[in-house]
Amino acid sequence: MIVRIASGISGFDELTSSEDNLALKLGGFPENSATLIYGPPEVGKSTFCYQFTYQGLTQDEPCLYLTTDHGIQDIYDTMKGIGLNLDDYLENEMLYVVDAVSSDMEVEESDIYQRSSVHNPTDMLVKVSRVARSISQKSPRLRGVVDSVTTILESNNEMLIVRVLKTYILRIKEAGGTVIITYIEGSADSRTETLIKSMVDNIIKLDGEKIIIEAMKGMGRKEDAYRTTDEGIVILHDEQ
Amino acid sequence: MKKTHIPKLDDFLGGGIPEGSSVLFYADPGVECEAFGYQTLQSRLEEGDSGFIFTNVTEPSSIIYEFEKFGWDLEKKVDDKRVFFVDGSSYFIGAPVTGKYGIEDYSQIEDVVIKAINDVPDGLGVINNLSTLIDYLDDGETVRIINKWNQVANDNKTILIYIFTEWDYENALIEQIKDSMDCLVNLSTIEERVIIGQGFMVTGASWTTPSSNRVLFNIMRPGGVKIFIPKILVTGPFNAGKSSFVKKIAKNSVSVDRMALGQVPTTIAMDIGHMEYKGFNADVFGTPGQERFDLILDILSKEAVGAFIVVDSTAPKTFARAKEMMKRCKAEAIPKVIVANKQDLPDSLSPKKIRKVMNIDQSIPIVPTSLPLNEGIEDAMDALLEILYR
Amino acid sequence: MSTVESGIPGLDELLQSEAGYDLGGIPQNTSTLVYGPPKVGKSIFSYQFANHGLNLEEPCLYITADEGMKQLQQNMIDFGWYLQNAMEKELLYVIDSISSLSGAPIETTNTYTPSKINDPTDLMVKVGIGTRFVFKKSNEFRSVFDSLTTPFAFNPEPMVIRFLKTYIRRLQEAGSTLVITYTEGVADENTEKILKSVVDNVIMLDGSYLTFRSSEGLMGTAEYQITNQGLVLGEGEIL
Repeated sequence: MIVRIASGISGFDELTSSEDNLALKLGGFPENSATLIYGPPEVGKSTFCYQFTYQGLTQDEPCLYLTTDHGIQDIYDTMKGIGLNLDDYLENEMLYVVDAVSSDMEVEESDIYQRSSVHNPTDMLVKVSRVARSISQKSPRLRGVVDSVTTILESNNEMLIVRVLKTYILRIKEAGGTVIITYIEGSADSRTETLIKSMVDNIIKLDGEKIIIEAMKGMGRKEDAYRTTDEGIVILHDEQ
Repeated sequence: MKKTHIPKLDDFLGGGIPEGSSVLFYADPGVECEAFGYQTLQSRLEEGDSGFIFTNVTEPSSIIYEFEKFGWDLEKKVDDKRVFFVDGSSYFIGAPVTGKYGIEDYSQIEDVVIKAINDVPDGLGVINNLSTLIDYLDDGETVRIINKWNQVANDNKTILIYIFTEWDYENALIEQIKDSMDCLVNLSTIEERVIIGQGFMVTGASWTTPSSNRVLFNIMRPGGVKIFIPKILVTGPFNAGKSSFVKKIAKNSVSVDRMALGQVPTTIAMDIGHMEYKGFNADVFGTPGQERFDLILDILSKEAVGAFIVVDSTAPKTFARAKEMMKRCKAEAIPKVIVANKQDLPDSLSPKKIRKVMNIDQSIPIVPTSLPLNEGIEDAMDALLEILYR
Repeated sequence: MSTVESGIPGLDELLQSEAGYDLGGIPQNTSTLVYGPPKVGKSIFSYQFANHGLNLEEPCLYITADEGMKQLQQNMIDFGWYLQNAMEKELLYVIDSISSLSGAPIETTNTYTPSKINDPTDLMVKVGIGTRFVFKKSNEFRSVFDSLTTPFAFNPEPMVIRFLKTYIRRLQEAGSTLVITYTEGVADENTEKILKSVVDNVIMLDGSYLTFRSSEGLMGTAEYQITNQGLVLGEGEIL
């Protein structure tokens, strides 16, 4: 019996629940697992992450968000744009951000907001590990996002990043976390890509039109159509 | 001469290690070797020298923890700046680099270690470990760099200790590495299908003729490298000549009673003596009677490294009992030598025949002996040593 | 030829052929490389193999290099395989070479010891100790190395090969039947060739088919599925 947590993406939980469990609404991401979301650029991977994060926040699950392409202001605005308001959660210190993008000093660093750099993977790992550990002392569950590992790979020795990613996944799981990692297909050496795919538990591809669950604990390959709407990603599960 | 304070090692080295020498501890895979480097460093630090550890397998904080487990406070000495780290490990796994010097690129290693050597004149540096370096340095560079380091160390009177696991590298490379060192210490396994012990032996020293003794050791936490005297069992069916055999191989053997804690505590009579043969030291335990073999093995358990099973070559009826005992030794992974005794008697079966009748594998030596005539005793001991140090 | 029950339904039957090989499972005291792309069931194969042996009271030396002990236990529980019994009877000896990265405090017990993924010397020391422990339980035991993937990420490829050769030699000498898993594509072509040459048998999983090739030349292939009871083979044939 694999415990799953609600994804926050409309239609995803239905897609990932087995037929007999449909009525029980037992779909979603396997708890304490690592999922790779990959595909071409601009297909909705970050949106997926926002929705996943927000779902956790509404369920009292803190989220640790490592962002490499969009700074915190961007994320806040984009999420607001699809109806996900972070105000309360920022106030209640439920969302922790490690921002490897913004170098503007407007937002002050705090317990829930730290800056880092994609050129310093060690620093990112240290910060993320520290936060994960402190969250785990207060909460049995947490969600983690790495958006995206591609940007980190681009700025560093790939093998180093593979090791850092492995360490990150181990630590986040140790802290009780369920994590999503985004990646642009083909952006790294094929060996690196294979290594990354072998380090996660589940692999999901978004190609702009279809969401393909290539591997997921407890289920076989599945796919469906999806659309990006002004409420985020919607998986068209019931449509024929 | 700088002492290592590793039991027996300083004796084998003719007193210790001269300032500025390079020492290679080369180990069979499976043998714990870094303790030798760490213990030597600890001893030198205690005697007022400075030192450093170059690590490429684990972070400095883990090494401090390892020292703690041995019962040595490295952290304090780091704080007192008596010893420092060259951290060649952390960066490559994405951990923060700590230590006085850090390595973020393998091209930096040569110069950084030279800096470290220069920082500890008349001191000691530990390179842990050489095995990992070989793959990261370009071909041919390893030997050149080692030679450079040894030269700088020699000029600086710094002792360099290299920890090296001898995986199956090219022979030529290993020879070159060994040739560049002043001193070679071999750490080897004693195996009988599984590793049952480990021993060290000095195989080369530029300043002395090393003793050719090999000594068995364990790494104790706390404690470090501790020698242990292995136990050799002499057993066999009734009346095979066990007691006589013990007397021949072990001086001053005495008969004692030992408590055995089996289901019911019993006492077992044993002959105990000490054997010294070709540099091999062992305590010999003989079982004079028809004692419960399993109880004896319980007494000896962890430290029995070999067994002589003495059989009466004229009494084939007793072979079955001998085989039982062999099976038990096999289960405990104890190497054995069969001593086919009483060869001087007319009805004695030859070792070849005995092997056939008992159906014994070729790998187990059967040595013919005749105790009254003092024949075969050295052969038997040679056979055991051969298996132990194969 | 003596064999060991694989624990994969359909596999032992597949290997029992009229072609004169008469294998009813994995040949005893051999080493088998289970390889394929990510997520095809290689780890599940090794869990099944180990677990089946434990149910038969065959001790197992389990080296986990991708997942820590906690995760391993959780993964097994997902399939309904519980290790408690085996651990109490001390039939399972686990060397956890990856948990040290997670920062979790690790307690060594009689049958569980940590090591470091980037320190093959230490790993081999632990293998020596573990082998001796398991060997004393039974001269016929199983061993699993799951998987080579993470070692390849943390060590130079030649070092992993050197380690593997020594590992296989040591364990075969001790009487073990070995299963080693590896993700195809993680090491370079040459290394992969060497990898396949240092083992006796190879089992390739590609997501749909399992193909078995033994050193004796026996080849068999069958469809397979990952079910909630592990891998299950369908109809197959000997080639």
